[in-house]
Amino acid sequence: MPQPAVTLTNLSRSYREGYRDHRVLDHAELRIERGESVALLGRSGSGKSTLLNLIAGIDRPDKGEIRIDGESITRLEEPALTLLRRRRIGFVYQFFNLIPTLTTRENIALPLELNHCAKAMMTDKVQQMLEAVDLSRRGDAYPEQLSGGEQQRVAIARALVHRPALLLADEPTGNLDQAAGKNVLGLMTTLAREEQSSLLLVTHSLAVARYADRILTLEEGRLSESGMEAAW
Amino acid sequence: MNRLLLRSALRHMQRHPWQTWLSVLGIALGVAVIVAVDLANQSARQAFLLSAESLTGKATHQITGGPTGIPEELYRELRVEKRLRQTAPIVEGLVRLDGETLQLIGIDPLAEADFRNHNEGLNDQAARQFLLKPASVLLSSITARRLGLEPGQDLGVTIAGRQVDLHVIALLEGDNPAVLEGLLLADISTAQELLDSPGRLDRIDLILRPDQVHDLTAALPAGLNLEIPESRSRVMLEMIDAFQINLAAMSLLAMLVGAFLIYNTMTFSVLRRRRLLATLRVLGVTRGELFRVLLLEAILMGLFGTALGLLLGLLIAEYLVQLVTRTINDLYFVLTVTQLIVQPLTLLKGCLVGLGVTLLAALAPAIEAAGTLPISALRRSRLEQRVRRGLPWVGLLGLAALIGGGLWLSTSGNSLLGGFSGLFLIIAGYSLLVPLGVALLSRLSERSGKRGSLLLRFALRGIGANLSRTGLSVASLSVAVAATLGVSIMIVSFRSTVADWLAYTLTSDIYVSAISSRASSSDTTLLPETRGLIQSLPEVAETSTGRRVTIRGPQGPVDLLVLDFASNTQQGFRFLEPPLPELWTGYQRGDQVLISEPYAYRYGLGTGDRLTLDTLQGSLNLTIGGVFYDYGSDRGLISLSASAYARYWGDTGYASVGVILQPGIEPSAAMAAIRKALTASDQQLHFRSNRELRDYSMAIFDRTFAITQVLRLLAIGVAFIGVLSALMALQLERSREQALLRATGVTPGQLIRLTLLQTGLVGCYAGLFALPLGWLMSEVLIEVINRRAFGWSITSQLPLDAVFEALLLAVFAALLAGLYPAWRMGRVSPALALREE
Repeated sequence: MPQPAVTLTNLSRSYREGYRDHRVLDHAELRIERGESVALLGRSGSGKSTLLNLIAGIDRPDKGEIRIDGESITRLEEPALTLLRRRRIGFVYQFFNLIPTLTTRENIALPLELNHCAKAMMTDKVQQMLEAVDLSRRGDAYPEQLSGGEQQRVAIARALVHRPALLLADEPTGNLDQAAGKNVLGLMTTLAREEQSSLLLVTHSLAVARYADRILTLEEGRLSESGMEAAW
Repeated sequence: MNRLLLRSALRHMQRHPWQTWLSVLGIALGVAVIVAVDLANQSARQAFLLSAESLTGKATHQITGGPTGIPEELYRELRVEKRLRQTAPIVEGLVRLDGETLQLIGIDPLAEADFRNHNEGLNDQAARQFLLKPASVLLSSITARRLGLEPGQDLGVTIAGRQVDLHVIALLEGDNPAVLEGLLLADISTAQELLDSPGRLDRIDLILRPDQVHDLTAALPAGLNLEIPESRSRVMLEMIDAFQINLAAMSLLAMLVGAFLIYNTMTFSVLRRRRLLATLRVLGVTRGELFRVLLLEAILMGLFGTALGLLLGLLIAEYLVQLVTRTINDLYFVLTVTQLIVQPLTLLKGCLVGLGVTLLAALAPAIEAAGTLPISALRRSRLEQRVRRGLPWVGLLGLAALIGGGLWLSTSGNSLLGGFSGLFLIIAGYSLLVPLGVALLSRLSERSGKRGSLLLRFALRGIGANLSRTGLSVASLSVAVAATLGVSIMIVSFRSTVADWLAYTLTSDIYVSAISSRASSSDTTLLPETRGLIQSLPEVAETSTGRRVTIRGPQGPVDLLVLDFASNTQQGFRFLEPPLPELWTGYQRGDQVLISEPYAYRYGLGTGDRLTLDTLQGSLNLTIGGVFYDYGSDRGLISLSASAYARYWGDTGYASVGVILQPGIEPSAAMAAIRKALTASDQQLHFRSNRELRDYSMAIFDRTFAITQVLRLLAIGVAFIGVLSALMALQLERSREQALLRATGVTPGQLIRLTLLQTGLVGCYAGLFALPLGWLMSEVLIEVINRRAFGWSITSQLPLDAVFEALLLAVFAALLAGLYPAWRMGRVSPALALREE
């Protein structure tokens, strides 16, 4: 039986704010199956991005366990976490975070090159992704020459080109107009499904969350699958 | 290495050409100064060694004499009675030609074949002329080409003030004509005649078997020495060691400022890209990969900078070698260097220093960038928080380095290297304290500026809020300005000490001296009757005489100042510690000597110690009656009374007469009378008033420091580039913040003023922080470095104009550096700037 893409067990994380601790995650539990897309809803400051950072291994929990593809990452050292991100995780941010000194094609190729993909295969894959995100004619453009929607499509292509087990998206439409946002969301969920990547989509918009198979809310540090209409 | 990461790094450099090229230029200037100084130093040393080697030829030993040279009979005695056939007599002198000095060597062509081949290849007629025709010389072919002279032409020169026409009969080629540059060769009798030293030799070259050495040493008359030529060259070169080490250290100072520049650039480059670097880390780029890419960027800049620096260094060295040669000629010995000797080792040293310093300076930012967790790099506020949290620790480290530097200075004995490493530790320690100082100062100014305009408050707050960058800029600018201030204070203090010393040392109103043509050993003496003629004039109250000769002291050759006092000559001496009670009686009697401060420092001697000198009467054991301040020679000096010198060396000659005038007599009128009284004398003389002699000495002082000023200017150049680069980066990085201001209604003019206000404030802070460090550096230069290098005590001064200049330099550099970003900020559209982020 295949392992779930993400399993969180009893996960807690606090931050110090002035003289008191602020618990953003309080014994949170979560399971995301392979190929499943999950939206995470919550107010600003509720800990959504913290959860994403913990799953990506760029922050560490105070308590609990995180498993990616069945492998516990909680006790992994920094180099191993880096390699985990490189091989199994893709990231899409609100502010795109493309490398300004690389072209569209090079930005998409970066994860493949980091994973030492053969050159011919890399060229093919990048071309496929460029076509998939409808940017085959903008391959040599630099990020600054692209519109916001185009930049986010490049970010999606970059996040999925190496077929990661998990795609993490942090407010991916937060910086786009409605039309571009819809386009990006449709593209992201479709491609994730095609590439058999699981998707964890962080947003505060119910409209955006509806693109996912399942919607969770994060409130008072706990994850739940009910009461979302009440919250929003 | 990852191809795309590399490409991204290269494009980053391409996209910020100003910063990239400013860094490259900074490295280049640093390397250039080091290479240029090394080339100039090495060229001077090599030229000296090659020329000495060429002039020594195959000689295994040399007999050298004391102040009065070697009697010619000794040469005959060695050849005939001692049957030492492989001997060659030498006479050396100096010849002036249009402001340059040429070396005249007198040889015996018949004895030369065993030693040198300079006169080989002369045809019979030329050989006959060389021997028989008066004033015939062979001239270095390179010098002849430079002067446009052909064989057969006459060369008008001045020898000891006399105009003489030398007849060039042939040119000296040899295996390596360059080493003979500036050389005139004459037959020994011609040379003796030209130099007015009949019957005297300066040295005798010999080729000896080991078994002959002992016998000859034992048989030599007192006052003469048998030496091996290399030891003589070594002693000569040791004279310029301290001077050259100081130059090398000055060049290192320029490189140190350059290192700050590289550190700054790399840190800014990392700070600018913190979001990008964080993204890369999130995408799975490892710390090692990021570290290697950043280091490779530094290596590329280092390579370009070093290559450019080597070329620039060669160009600067062409000029510097002239300054080095001039100083060596002014202070140590006559040397002609007309071509750079480029040694691969010097270039290799330049490469290693350039790349090494670049890598070292880039190491910390690269480690910092690679070590940062992606999550914290993504948050700007976290970075400033971390910098603030780290400030006390950095400050503590700085304090420890500062104290460590101080301790190292006080425990490193007389080591010059220890002195410089202590100085560099102090500079490093202080620069680590500067960011803490900036934080405190900005907090203070924020408080005091509370009632100012919003823009003023914004400008004041901006410095403290961006400490990760402003702290660095202020630190590097402070170090650069402090370096220039420290050197300025040192030169001004030194100059003022020398001026004071000249004022009390030169106790006579007029000085009369013979124009010298001697290359070494002693200065030219005046005719015996000169003093009497001067003394007999009604304008003259008293006279004193002086002479400087080189004798053999217990530690090798040493200058002996022989004085016959006037009643006020004693006032010309000031002592480090109280002299012996009966000093002046003992001095006149000849059983006490005085030694100069550098001599005492160098050999660890003090008042009351004993000193042994080799005289013509054998060894002489004398008591040191006092240690006096003297800035005329860094080798040190021993002073002995004229009567004692005459007794032990059988020499009553004197080289200068100090004239004290009757009250109310004008020096110019008295000088005219003295000139008239000495008209009949057949000797070329210098007449200088007290004022003229002081001015002349100060002119030599200023010439000596010309090279220091050049190096200081180069260090300022490197510092300026550093500041320009740092402040440009600082302002450009704040585009978004400033675009926000534009978007909220701040006019371009207001923005330009704000930018200039901030950079001006950074300059002000840097200037303020530079003052204590500059003063501290000057104290170390004066109390430690100068003392260890030359043994001089210098009275510290705090010249207000130098302090003001330093402040002005800091503010001016900062404002100038702020101009371009201010101009850019004034023009850029708010929307575009906001979008860039």
